[in-house]
Amino acid sequence: MKHRFLITAMALLIALAAGSLLVAVPIAAQATTQGAAAAWTPPKTPWGDPDLQGIYTSDDYIGLGMNRAAQYGNRLYFTEEEIAAREKTIATTAQRDAVEFATPGGNVGTGPPGHWGERARRSPRQTSLIVEPENGQTPALTEEGRQRQAMYTRQGAGTARPEDSWEGYTSYIRCITRGIAGSVIPVIYGNGTEIVQGPGYVAILQEMVHEARIVRLDKSPHVGSNIKTYMGDSRGYWDGNTLVIETKNILGNKTGIGGNGGGTPFSEDAKFTERLTRTDKDTIQYTMRVEDPRTYTAPFTFTFPIRREPGYQNFEYACHEGNHGMMNQLSGARADERAAAEAARQNR
Amino acid sequence: MRTRMLLAVIAVFLLVPVSLWAHHAFAAEFDANKPVKLRGTVTKMDWINPHAWIHIEVKGTDGKVTKWMIEAAAPNAMLRRGFNQDSLPIGTEILIEGYMAKDGANRANGSSITYPDGKKLFIGSQGTGAPVEQ
Amino acid sequence: MRHRYLSFAAAVAALALTFSVSMKVLSAQNAPNTAPARIDGKPNFNGLWQALTGANWDIQDHSSEPGPYYQLGATFAIPAGQGIVEGNEIPYRPEALEQRKKNRLNRWTADPEIKCYMPGIPRANYMPFPFTIVQGTTTIAFAYEFATSNRVVRMTNHQKAPVPSWMGWSNGRWEGDTLVVEVTGNNDQTWFDRSGNFHSDAMKVTERFTLRNPDVIDYEATIEDPKTFTRPWKISFPLYRRLEKNASQLEFKCVEYTEELIYGHLRKPTN
Repeated sequence: MKHRFLITAMALLIALAAGSLLVAVPIAAQATTQGAAAAWTPPKTPWGDPDLQGIYTSDDYIGLGMNRAAQYGNRLYFTEEEIAAREKTIATTAQRDAVEFATPGGNVGTGPPGHWGERARRSPRQTSLIVEPENGQTPALTEEGRQRQAMYTRQGAGTARPEDSWEGYTSYIRCITRGIAGSVIPVIYGNGTEIVQGPGYVAILQEMVHEARIVRLDKSPHVGSNIKTYMGDSRGYWDGNTLVIETKNILGNKTGIGGNGGGTPFSEDAKFTERLTRTDKDTIQYTMRVEDPRTYTAPFTFTFPIRREPGYQNFEYACHEGNHGMMNQLSGARADERAAAEAARQNR
Repeated sequence: MRTRMLLAVIAVFLLVPVSLWAHHAFAAEFDANKPVKLRGTVTKMDWINPHAWIHIEVKGTDGKVTKWMIEAAAPNAMLRRGFNQDSLPIGTEILIEGYMAKDGANRANGSSITYPDGKKLFIGSQGTGAPVEQ
Repeated sequence: MRHRYLSFAAAVAALALTFSVSMKVLSAQNAPNTAPARIDGKPNFNGLWQALTGANWDIQDHSSEPGPYYQLGATFAIPAGQGIVEGNEIPYRPEALEQRKKNRLNRWTADPEIKCYMPGIPRANYMPFPFTIVQGTTTIAFAYEFATSNRVVRMTNHQKAPVPSWMGWSNGRWEGDTLVVEVTGNNDQTWFDRSGNFHSDAMKVTERFTLRNPDVIDYEATIEDPKTFTRPWKISFPLYRRLEKNASQLEFKCVEYTEELIYGHLRKPTN
């Protein structure tokens, strides 16, 4: 009699445990529908993950800008007329880029010709990259953020001022990195992103500056908070067909959301959440949400599509190995100073 | 016709605001008061970023040969346009219009680089075809 | 009596079934199968790997030697090492051997590793840093920690290298369970080690990766470079999976450690 009761009790306990595990599944299934609703179902890799692999570019969003022009207000999308006008400009630019013969006696300056840049193939649909907050503007900086911005401006990034040393240049000009946000935001060339997947891993390879982010999908924890890197530590998971990547442990005071990672640098406590969803055979919608309360008064999100284009591929971006620009700019600055000193000497 | 071409060239400059390129600080490397015109043969090309460099040998009127380095476009953008190492073989003659390096070395920016027949360098495929689709 | 036994057995069986079903559901949801033995019929190389040889110092057998600065004493002196070159002989052409001797004399200034330049293949595989292999089906990515060097191995749509590069152009294929990678388009700027062993831009490297067991890859590479060597030669060594708890790829972006060395002479004078 006692024996039977014990067995029944044990059986009941096991059944309860098993039952609770079964209950856990439907709750997880609910969460998957909250991801970006894609009507198109992507193919799967042989091990059953959604397949995001390929080489993509954000060229179409070159020049759009993070912040929305004030005239659009809270309107996120261009009208069909606005798109048509932009597509006309794209076509004229392509024509001019293809002009094969130089004009004898044409204007030549220290800047490069336009066709050295890469171009949008079609008009962007969005009026800005930023979609949160609703007005499409970067949130205001905190006091600490303003101090960091002042430090960045002093560096003279984007100007032609001579510098005392290489430290006055951005991490990009120094061929170090563009940081986690700067490596993906479209600029005038080099906008390639390649995604390679394996079971438990995603590699995100970005052309400039030859970045290779490894995202672990095995639910392993982030490395310890004393290990900080330029690109941070990334761990990811699948939310339905969306790859969600959580990144922290970045080196603070180095890179921001400006062009090529310039702009107000993030703090070391910044957290980044990326979402990648394949919306058709050639397109992934890429989204990044930035939470850096030490720098920005609110979190913000930017998004844009990246596309496979016929013939588009990444090439090695060996930068530091031949950074003549850095050498020559410093050399030029020292030459300017010598010339000025010589002129002062002669005027005495 | 020539005026229209000239306007087109100027318009191209306007389409890509100089400020977008300013981070390369060409003005910090090169002297806008020292224009230069060179005609030389290619001896080597450094396929590095952010800008490729073309090494040329320039023969002076006195027969003396001087070596120059010319700053060129970003190689990856060029590669995507179908321009690669077979497009500019060693020994090719090219014409350069640009400005000299501030520090006086034999370096120039190559804002205008053309073949002797006037055809622009880096415009597109030089017969070798664009990269194959993956 | 038998009745009670039968019903007990049935109950246990039913519970076992429920438990195993729920465990499968649980494991599918909480612990994805992130390490299958095979991918699309091929061995699985995904993970974090590292070589344990002293080859980055010198790919041939070598005794221990002093380091560059006596002030650093034993810490940065060179340990003895067994080489990875099969036959321990590198068949240099006579003029190339002279260059190698010059390189070795200048190792503390001329080694491109000092300037944080990308190490190229095969050196990236045996530097004292881990690297991650992400193996898909059409593409396999190698992400090396040193200088964030990386390369992609194309398994389909093989193309010719359009230009020479530091990490070369890798085309891969399977030979049974061995991954074979041909690396061409190598520039002549990288060294094989810190002892001046070098090559020309005609070098072709043919690598072979074979899993000895899930945690060891047998790696070998054949070097062909008629401009530098009189015949092809081979290196081989094991690659070990990093098994520490939560062993993760970190970052070694070393450019900043080299700027004083490279640009220091152009710093604005303070007088």
